[in-house]
Amino acid sequence: MSKWYPKNGRVIFHVDMNSFYASVEMAYDPSLKTKAIAIAGNPEERRGIIVTSSYEARAKGVKTTMPLWQARRLCPELIVLPPNFERYRKMSRELFKIMAEITDLVQPVSIDEGYIDVTDCSHLGSPIEIASQLQQRLKAELDLPCSIGIAPNKFLAKMGSDMKKPMGITIIRKRELKDVLWPLDIGEMHGVGEKTKAKFNDQNIYTIQDLVDADPYLLKRVFGVNGVRLQQKAKGEDKRPVDPDAVFEFKSIGNSETLPEDTVEEATILGLLRKLSKKVSERLIRKEVVGQTVQLMIRYYDRKTITRSITLAKFLHQEQAIYQVAVDLFETHWNNEPIRLLGVTVQGLVDKSEIVEQLDLFHYQEMLKDEGLQRTIDQLTERYGKTTFKKLQSTTEQQPRTSFQKDFLDDYRTSK
Amino acid sequence: MKTWTSLKEDQPVVMKMIERMIKDDRMAHAYLLHGDPGTGKQAIALHLAMRIFCKSPHGAEPCKTCTDCRRVESGNHPDLHWLKPEGASIKKEQIQDLQREFTYQGLESNKKVYVIENSDKMTTNAANRLLKFLEEPSRETTAILLTDNQYRLLDTIRSRCQLLALRPLSPKALEAALINEGISPHNARLFQAIAPQLEQAKALDQDTWFADARKLMVQLVSMLHSRSNESLFFVEKQWMEHFKDREQLKIGLNLLLHWFKDLIYIQIEDNASLVMLDYKEQLEQQAFRYTKQQLTTILETITHAVRKLDQNVHPTLVMEQLTLQMQR
Amino acid sequence: MKFTIQRDQLIDSLQHVMKAISPRVAIPILTGIKIEATKEGIKLTGSDSDISIESFIPVEEDGLVYVENIEPGAIVVQAKYFPDIIRKLPLKTIEIQTDDNYQMTILSGGSEFHLNGQDAEEYPHLPVLHTDNSFEIKHDLLKEMIKQTVFAVSTVETRPILTGVNMKVIDGKLNFVATDSHRLASRVLPLSEEQKHVNFESIVVPGKSLAELNKIIEENDETVTMSVSDNQILFQTKNIYFLSRLLDGNYPETDRLIPDQSKTVVKTKTKALLQAIDRASLLAKENRNNVVKLETKDQHLEISSNTPEVGQVTEDVVTESTEGESLKISFSAKYMIDALRIIEEEYVSIYFTGAMRPFVIRPDQNDQILQLILPVRTY
Repeated sequence: MSKWYPKNGRVIFHVDMNSFYASVEMAYDPSLKTKAIAIAGNPEERRGIIVTSSYEARAKGVKTTMPLWQARRLCPELIVLPPNFERYRKMSRELFKIMAEITDLVQPVSIDEGYIDVTDCSHLGSPIEIASQLQQRLKAELDLPCSIGIAPNKFLAKMGSDMKKPMGITIIRKRELKDVLWPLDIGEMHGVGEKTKAKFNDQNIYTIQDLVDADPYLLKRVFGVNGVRLQQKAKGEDKRPVDPDAVFEFKSIGNSETLPEDTVEEATILGLLRKLSKKVSERLIRKEVVGQTVQLMIRYYDRKTITRSITLAKFLHQEQAIYQVAVDLFETHWNNEPIRLLGVTVQGLVDKSEIVEQLDLFHYQEMLKDEGLQRTIDQLTERYGKTTFKKLQSTTEQQPRTSFQKDFLDDYRTSK
Repeated sequence: MKTWTSLKEDQPVVMKMIERMIKDDRMAHAYLLHGDPGTGKQAIALHLAMRIFCKSPHGAEPCKTCTDCRRVESGNHPDLHWLKPEGASIKKEQIQDLQREFTYQGLESNKKVYVIENSDKMTTNAANRLLKFLEEPSRETTAILLTDNQYRLLDTIRSRCQLLALRPLSPKALEAALINEGISPHNARLFQAIAPQLEQAKALDQDTWFADARKLMVQLVSMLHSRSNESLFFVEKQWMEHFKDREQLKIGLNLLLHWFKDLIYIQIEDNASLVMLDYKEQLEQQAFRYTKQQLTTILETITHAVRKLDQNVHPTLVMEQLTLQMQR
Repeated sequence: MKFTIQRDQLIDSLQHVMKAISPRVAIPILTGIKIEATKEGIKLTGSDSDISIESFIPVEEDGLVYVENIEPGAIVVQAKYFPDIIRKLPLKTIEIQTDDNYQMTILSGGSEFHLNGQDAEEYPHLPVLHTDNSFEIKHDLLKEMIKQTVFAVSTVETRPILTGVNMKVIDGKLNFVATDSHRLASRVLPLSEEQKHVNFESIVVPGKSLAELNKIIEENDETVTMSVSDNQILFQTKNIYFLSRLLDGNYPETDRLIPDQSKTVVKTKTKALLQAIDRASLLAKENRNNVVKLETKDQHLEISSNTPEVGQVTEDVVTESTEGESLKISFSAKYMIDALRIIEEEYVSIYFTGAMRPFVIRPDQNDQILQLILPVRTY
């Protein structure tokens, strides 16, 4: 079977469930099958909006984010359901379980899509056989349709899964790129949103071909390092591994340390919590992320270990805030026995850029001092591109050695 | 229920301080009442709370008859918040309730009193918040923290409280407290002589080691006369087996000391001072075998033996010497 | 104590006071209901110490006799048993009496209950109405003022004083303010000549108490008498007294934080704006902060929200007028919806002073209502 597999390359699947929410609803209630159904935020109210819809509804012109009244006009027989996220989550777990039976190298990227690295799966058949078996199993066991892209890397696999829907299997080979990929509109490319597309158009880049042919220096100047990466992907180069741990990797940053001797000394314990909070805070700041959950781990002299966490209303990344929560947790949960090791972890991380900060009536004035500066930066960035201003990073920050491996992966993930 | 007067007898120094503060109208925002178990911390806190709320105090004393005083006592005063550990520690919900209470004005007036038993079991965080709250000078709020051991509280907390140190119980008060705890009067007399702290003394009642120790002591003293040739053998085989280390042996010597003291009391007919009340008959029999001079000498040798133990002389040697000296 | 009472009246009254009784109490006596008989009638009291409710059954009302054979006195009985017993008694008339040992006897038809009670002196002593510092207010007006402010109180205990509504009388105006520090709601009521004598200092009433009060004020209560003592506020309707403890501490000075100038003023239809924000928030909900973006364009507003996993939405709202600098600002849709919902006027004006500064919403032709919202900062 190995003749189907490249000698020096990889075989990657991208599995993308077709209109997942709607399909799950149909699987739960088969009487909905072949009907035009839609999931909407607020089905009771006239002003609800379509979150997703079945292919039958799409055929009538129903689109995501369309107001409900408009969808009903296009498709009077439309059946509208409220979202049932618990159901979707459960189905999602099931389908990743089935994927994991092929290989451990499964990387979920969202509730309804994931990558599988089948490079070493020649014993199971040719890639296309494996893909088709998987597709059949998902259909037979979960009653869910999917499309699968097969390619030498993640990016091309992702592009492939998008090409035939529903229940498609698409192979993209590197030598076919100029025929299947490059003629597409630049907006079709994974990773190019409305805004980036408009910017590309400003630079006379309309198709993926245009991007392949573009001057790398121009790309770097206008789009920063992301522009160059997009060009490499368009050329069919994408080295990102399928990383089963990627989902867990970036969700938390934590440090732990063993005490010189088992202790009940509160000053020593608080001192260590302070130190750990500082380290975690430094790593969060360096990676420009913030988190909502603080977890404390206590290992006692007898190796009995407890972890306790608390999820806050606010995101945090500052040492003092982390420390305070850690101390609260400690005081609540410590059973007064000697402690051997303590760990502080911040979980539920998101990019700082993804969150917004609610201003406070009593403190907003403190932030106004950089109001003017920020406005100038925004204007200049718009004119000269993103690399004009770079945040200076404090050079005194120590690279925490024990977590280097983890940081490496984290950084890798943010760079994609 | 203790009275102000009985508290003044038990804790004259602290009660005098309290009375002076009340008279001078110099009440502190926070008190730390510390002292051994049984020294009257709760009773003093209760009386202080009563005095703060009392509508018709007599000088420094609360009247104990007005509805405020009565409700302080029954636990129904709405502006008195009395916290005690549920189980081993002060629970998070208790602290939360307390912190929530800080944010409200009083129900009947703006006077509030917080009493926290075993305040050393409060988290540092909670204690700090309590004191921070108290420090705002506008409030008519008093916190009374109670603890057996003031050093278990952080310095920052201790330093913000007025310290009221309760003196250990007098032997008489300790004895009364023991009887109050349900210990027989005979045992209470003995226990207070052996252990100066209520908890330790109380523990003796359940301690079979101590019960055996007492029996061995009585055996030994009777042996000194009837079978003096066996007494050294007894010391070696049974006594030293039971009193295994210096601390235990000291208790044994302490028991012996009280036995011979009691013999003197019998001789001088001071029955009220007797400690070994359970053995009155034996004491009376033995008392006439010794002259007063002999008894005084024995007491001296026992005291001397204790000193030798402290000087690290081998316990068996100390005990054998003592036995021979007592036989003389 | 002794009296004969109509069962229905007693049940009715019990239902009111039971609202204040909680199973978790700070002091044991609060598990009970206080019953007090005077020549004027029967007063029941329930309390969880934060709020207390007193309900009065007059001897007679509109010619109907409710209570007879009164021997004055008072007692506290267990709230766990007393109401159930009363509800299940066979006759319309109930005879209640107590003895010196705080035992209550309840007689009705052939039923005879003996219930252990407690000394009424043990019960908290609640303040009574001070006529010199009280004033009457129409029930619907009070309900409205509460509704227009109480939603903005803080629900977290980090700054406890903000969990209450600040009430004060300044320059002959009664002023309600609530803020959770992210938004602020304010309502002013000019006092009439008869009410002008009132002068109470700034007090802070727990938002929870006011929400409870709003449920209790009945439609048929014509007026409510408000009175403030040192540590409690009392609202009195015909037969119900509602008391709440006050929050302790100084309420922050909010007046100086409300901008008095603006750079951009937008006037638009209240309903249209509310609906547009509500729709835009549908997709914003996935987003942790429920944030929408507002952009002023020529004579209209663009409200948008973008959640990458879900989708993107743009709403267009025509304005009556847009004056001043152009502006892009992001804020919580929830706060905006809350603020617009309590405005009944057809038009609102919004006064902006910059993307990182609070903005003010005022209904057209009504300067008694002011809503303020702090925007969010995006990175």
